[in-house]
Amino acid sequence: MAHDPVRLELIKNAIGSVVDEMVLTIIRIAYSSIMKDTMDLSSAFCDRRGRMIAQGLSLPLHLGSVPDAMEAVIAKYGDTLNPGDIVILNDPYQGGMHLPDIFMFKPVFVGERLLGYAMLVAHHNDMGGRVPGSSAADSTEIFQEGLRIPILKLYERGQPNQTLMDMIAINVRIPDVVLGDLQAQVAACRIAERGMTELAQRYGIDALEGYFEELLDYSEREARRTIRSIPDGVYRFIDHLDDDGVNMNQPVTVAVAVHVQGDELTVDMTGTSPQVRGAINSTLSFAKSAVYFAVRSIMGSDAPNNAGFFRPIHVKAPLGCLVNPRPPAAVAARGISGFRLIDAMFGALAQAVPQAVRAAGEGGTTSYSFGCYDAAGRFSLFREAVMGAWGAGYRREGIDGVANAAANIANAPVEMVENSAPIRIERYELVPDSGGPGEWRGGMSVMRQLRFLGERATLQLRSDRRHNRPYGLAGGGHGQPSNNLLEDNGVWSQLPTKFTRPLAKGQAIRHTTAGAGGYGDALRRDPALVLDDVRNGKVTPEAALGDYGVVVLRRPWRVDQPATLAQRAKLALARKESVA
Amino acid sequence: VSAAEPALRVGVDIGGTFTDLVFLRPDGKLDRRKRPSTPADYSRAIIDGVSDYCAEARFQRGGIGEVVHATTVATNAILERKGAHTGLLTTEGFRDVLELRRMRIPLSYDLGWKKPEPLVERALRLSVRERMDAGGNVLTALDMATVDAAIDEIAASGAEAVAVCFLHSYRNAAHERAVDERIRARLPGIHVSLSSEVLPEMLEFERTSTTVVNAYVAPLISRYLNLLRDALAGQGVQAPILVMQSNGGLISAASAAERPVTIIESGPAAGVVAAQRLARECGLPNVITLDMGGTTTKASIIEHGEILRGSEYEVGSTVSVSSRLVRGGGYLLRIPVIDVSEVGAGGGSIASLDSGGSLRVGPRSAGAVPGPACYGQGNDQPTVTDANLILGYISPTSLAGGSLKVDPALAAAAIRKSIADPAKLSLLDAAHGIYAVANSNMMRAIKSVSVERGRDPRDFAMMAFGGAGPIHAAELARQLGIRKVLIPPAPGVFSAFGLLRAEVEHHTARTVLTSTRGDDHAAVEKALADMRADLLGRAKAEGYDPATAEVERFGDLRYRGQSSELTVPLPDGPLDEAAMRAVEERFEAEFERTYGHRADAKAFELVTVRLVLRLPRHLEHGTAWMPDISATTETERQVYFGPEAGKAMAAVLSRRDLGRTPRPGPALIQEYDTTIVVPPGCEASIDSHANVVITVG
Repeated sequence: MAHDPVRLELIKNAIGSVVDEMVLTIIRIAYSSIMKDTMDLSSAFCDRRGRMIAQGLSLPLHLGSVPDAMEAVIAKYGDTLNPGDIVILNDPYQGGMHLPDIFMFKPVFVGERLLGYAMLVAHHNDMGGRVPGSSAADSTEIFQEGLRIPILKLYERGQPNQTLMDMIAINVRIPDVVLGDLQAQVAACRIAERGMTELAQRYGIDALEGYFEELLDYSEREARRTIRSIPDGVYRFIDHLDDDGVNMNQPVTVAVAVHVQGDELTVDMTGTSPQVRGAINSTLSFAKSAVYFAVRSIMGSDAPNNAGFFRPIHVKAPLGCLVNPRPPAAVAARGISGFRLIDAMFGALAQAVPQAVRAAGEGGTTSYSFGCYDAAGRFSLFREAVMGAWGAGYRREGIDGVANAAANIANAPVEMVENSAPIRIERYELVPDSGGPGEWRGGMSVMRQLRFLGERATLQLRSDRRHNRPYGLAGGGHGQPSNNLLEDNGVWSQLPTKFTRPLAKGQAIRHTTAGAGGYGDALRRDPALVLDDVRNGKVTPEAALGDYGVVVLRRPWRVDQPATLAQRAKLALARKESVA
Repeated sequence: VSAAEPALRVGVDIGGTFTDLVFLRPDGKLDRRKRPSTPADYSRAIIDGVSDYCAEARFQRGGIGEVVHATTVATNAILERKGAHTGLLTTEGFRDVLELRRMRIPLSYDLGWKKPEPLVERALRLSVRERMDAGGNVLTALDMATVDAAIDEIAASGAEAVAVCFLHSYRNAAHERAVDERIRARLPGIHVSLSSEVLPEMLEFERTSTTVVNAYVAPLISRYLNLLRDALAGQGVQAPILVMQSNGGLISAASAAERPVTIIESGPAAGVVAAQRLARECGLPNVITLDMGGTTTKASIIEHGEILRGSEYEVGSTVSVSSRLVRGGGYLLRIPVIDVSEVGAGGGSIASLDSGGSLRVGPRSAGAVPGPACYGQGNDQPTVTDANLILGYISPTSLAGGSLKVDPALAAAAIRKSIADPAKLSLLDAAHGIYAVANSNMMRAIKSVSVERGRDPRDFAMMAFGGAGPIHAAELARQLGIRKVLIPPAPGVFSAFGLLRAEVEHHTARTVLTSTRGDDHAAVEKALADMRADLLGRAKAEGYDPATAEVERFGDLRYRGQSSELTVPLPDGPLDEAAMRAVEERFEAEFERTYGHRADAKAFELVTVRLVLRLPRHLEHGTAWMPDISATTETERQVYFGPEAGKAMAAVLSRRDLGRTPRPGPALIQEYDTTIVVPPGCEASIDSHANVVITVG
C-alpha cells in the first residue's frame, strides 16, 4: 500500500466533517420544510479540476448530480472565477436536474491559489411556473415549470448580484422563503470555505491535493472490489411507471441491462421508453445517480462518495429517451423515474447477487403540495412527502414505516402541520394486509388523510405504483397498490396517480402508499411470525389463512398447527393445479 | 436529616465495568474506591463498597448523611429490552405514531438496516376516540367507551405500565387527565405516564417516544431504587438518596421513580457537572470536557461558565453523536440533557485495516472482558490500550494501581498481525497510527459540540478525565489549537465526585407557540405561572423550603418559518413590549454567533418556555484527596511520540513531584487509575486546586 493509512483516515474524516457541517447548517437555518425537515439537499467539495472529493449526503439520489453541474460551471468560467464569487444554476439542460434544485458553487482559494469548490444543491419550495411548488407531473415543456437560471454569478468578488436576486424574487410565489433559503446555502458554502482553508493551512496545499488523489483511488478500489464480487454476465430487468402524468393509464417502460465484466460495470438503458409528454423525464445525471446508488448499496463499506467511486461505473441511455431527454421536455417530477430506475437496478442485481438486495419498496416517496389562498387572497404553500416501506430480502424482514433508502427524508409531524397550515390530518397509520406476502414479509403501506380548512387551494400530487405493483423476489408476493381518494361532502371518489386540481374548503384527500414486495414462498414463513403479525393487526386472520396458510386462534393467541399443515398442503396443491 | 451537618457524603457512579465511589468525610477529606460492577443486582456493589469503606475507615454507617447516585440501570433496561410490558393509548387514527417515527434511517446505503423494535408493540397500541385541534379546542369529545375497551385490553395483557399520548395535549391535557383517572380507578397499581406531564411540548412522535420510555423504565427504576433504599437501611444507612438527571441536576429518589426518563444519562452528566464547578473555581469560563473510558469518549462544552444543554437525544443508538444527520438508530428522548457527544472510541476499541486499506479504530470494543490483547484473556485483536502500552504511554506494572497484570508481548503480537505487517509499517508506527486514528475519532465528538455549533476550540481550555482521557488529552488539544489542558485530581472517579458537587434541580417546559409581537402574552404568563407553581410543589414534596428556591426562565425562539429553535433567558418581570424586544435581541445575537448572520425578516416565534428551579444547599465540598495509594519505582521510560518527534526518554513522576514552575515534557505522571502524558514541547505544572496543568506547545 503506497499511502499512509493514518493520514488518509484523518484527512478523510476532516473533509467529511466539512461537508457534513454544510448540511447541518442548512437544516438549522433554512425556512422551507423541504430543506429543514425533509432535508432534500446535498453538499460536496470538488477539487480544482472539478472532481468531487467528498459529498455530505442527506439525499442519496443526488449522488451523481454533482459532476455534470460542476463540469458545466468549469466549461463556462474555466479558471476565471475570483475569491468571493458564488455561481448558481438550476437549468436541467445546463448541468441542473429540475428547476427547484438550485446548485451553488463557491470557489475556495488559499491565498491566490484555487483549492477547489464548495458546492451545495438544495430543493427550493417554489420556482414559479404554472403550478405552486413547481413540481407538477402534468407540465409538458420546461417553460411551464418555472424560472430557468442559467449558470450565473450570484455574488461577484463578495458583492451580491442584485439583478439576479430581484429576478428570482419576482418570479417565485414565496420570495422571502426562497431568498432566505438561498442565504442559508451561501452560509453553508462559507462554512465549507473556512473548513477547507484551515485544512490547507494545516497540511499544506500540495500535500492536501496529494491526499485528494489518494481518496479518489481509495473509493475506486472499493467500487472495483464490489463489482468484482458480482459474477460476470448481463442482467436485464424491466419495470414500469403507471403513466407519465399526462397520458394516463399508459405505462412507461424503464429497462436496464447491467453488464458486469471483471471490475467494470456498464448499465445500458436502451429499451427504456422515449421521452414522454408529461414531466417525469429525468436528466442523465439523475439516472446516473440512481445507478450509483444501487451499486453503492451493495458495497458494504463507508468509503467516501467521490469521483473515484464513479470511475468503473458507466451509464448509457439513448438521447431522446425518458432518462436522457432533449429540450424542451418537462422534468419537474423526474424523481419518480429515478425511483423506478433503482427498482429496475435492484431487480437486475437480484439475478446476480440475490442475497445482497431487497424486493421492491413502496416505489418512491409520494409528494404533494397545497398552494393555498386565504380569505384575503394571501398565498401560502404547504408541501410534504409520504413514505414508505422496504421490501423483504434473503433472511431479512421488510420494514414498516421507513424512508425510501434512496431518499432518506423525514415525515412532517402532524402537530407541526396543523400549527402552520390550514390543514387537519385525520389519519396517519399502517394498512393491514398491504405488505407483499413471503417467507419474509414486505413492508406495509402507510395511509395519510388530510382535510383542507382554507378557502381554496391548488393541490398537486405525484404518486405511482398503482397499476404496476412493487415486485417480490424468490417467490415472494407483490405489495398492495397505492391509491388516492378525494372526499367531498362525505362522498369518496378516486383520483389519478398524478394530478393538479383545485381543492375546496372542507374537502379531504387520502393517500395510501404501495406496500413493499415479499421474499421467498409465503407458505414457508414461520407460523410464529404470522401469528405475531395477526396479533399486531398487520395481517388479518383471513390473509394469514389465504396467503400464508396459517390458522390463527385467539384467546389465547396461538397457531393451530395441524390445521395449518393441512391448509398449507391445500394451498400448495391448488397452486400446482393452477400452473398445470 | 440536615445534610449540612458534618456527615459522610457518598457519591456513587455505576458504570458498565466499574462502580466508582467517592466519599466526602466529615474531616473534609475526599476518598475513593473502585469496585467491579454487579449487573445481576447493581445495588450489591454499592452496599459492599459503602460498608467495606466504613469498616476500613472506621465510620459509623448511620453517620452517612446522603447518597448521591448516577446509574445506568435505565439505559441498560432499554438496551437489553428488559423494561416493563407497556401499553400505549393514542388518538384514534394515530395508532402508529410510535412505530412510524420520523422515517429517516441513520446511515445511507445500508440495506441490512434493522429498525429498532418499538417499545410498545402494535397489539398494545390502542386508539381512543377523541381529538383536539392545534389551539387545544375539543373537536371530538372523549369517548369513555373506547377508553374502557382499551383498559380491558391492557388488563388482559398483564401490562405493568401505560403511556397516554393524545394529539395536541400540550395545549389541552383534559382528555389525558380524564383517561388517567379512569385507568387508576380501574387498574390501581399500574404505572401511568401522561405525555402532557412528561413532556407538554409540540411534536407527537417526540412526545410519544419520550412518554413511552418513561413508562417502560418506571416500574424497574422504582423497584431498583426501593431495593437500594431497603438494602442501605438494612446496613443502618437511613440517608436520603438523590439521583443525577441527564441535565446535571439532582432529584430525590421518589421523583426519579416517577420521572425516570430524566435520569437516563446520569453518568455522563455527573462528569460535566464536576468539570463546570472546577472550571468556575479555576476562573476558566470556557472549557471542553473530554471523558474517555473503556468503550466510548464523551465531549461537552462549558461556555461562560455554563453547561451547554441540548433538547433531545437518542438512547440505544449505536452511534450517538449530537447530530441530526444520524438520527433514527435508537429511542428518541426529548428532554433537557447536557449536550454530550459520544463516539465509540475508548481504551478497549479495536483497531483494524478495512478492505480499502484504511486504518479503523472502533466502534467495536473488547470491553472489560476479554479486554485488550495485553490482558491475555483471549482477545488477539489490538486495541487502543495495547497501542498506548507499546508506545510507552502506560506502564505494564501500573494499570489500576498495579493490580492488573498485562503483557506487552501480546499487545505487540496483536498490532503486528492486524496492522503493522499488512500495512508494512514498523510496530511503533502502527501503534502510533492506532493512537492517532483514535484521536481523530475523538476529535469528531469534540467538533460536534464545538465547531458544528460555531464555537472555535481555540477559545477553550480542555479538562480531561476518565481512565484514558489524560493519556490522549495533550495531543488532541494540540491538534485542536487548545493551549491549556487540566487534569483534575482523581480523574478516574471524577464523575462520581461530580455527584457530590451537583445541586437539586427541577426542569419543566411547555409549548406556547406564539408570535413575540402583539401585546397580549397573557397565555404565556399563565403558562409560566402554572409551571412555577408546579415546580415549587415538587420542591416542597421533596422536603425543601420553596422560599430558598431560585427559578430561572428561558424561551426557545426562532425566526418565523424555521423549525429549529435557540434557547435564550427570559427576563424577570412581566413579558411586556420592552421585555419581548429584549428577548428578540438575545435570540438574534445568539443566532448571529452560531450562524454568522441575522435574518432580514424580523418575525419571531416563541415556541417553548422552560423553567429551571434550583435549590442551592450551600454544602461544603472537599478539595483535598486522601493520599494516592499507588507508588511507582520507575524514574524514566522510553516513549514514542510519532514519526516526527520520534523516541524520547520521559521522566516518570507522580502528581506530588510537580510544582508551580512548569516542567518541560516529555514526562509521564503516573496515578492510581491513569497516566497523564506530557508530550515533548508541552509543560506541566500543578495549580492551587491540585490540577495538573499542561501548557500545550
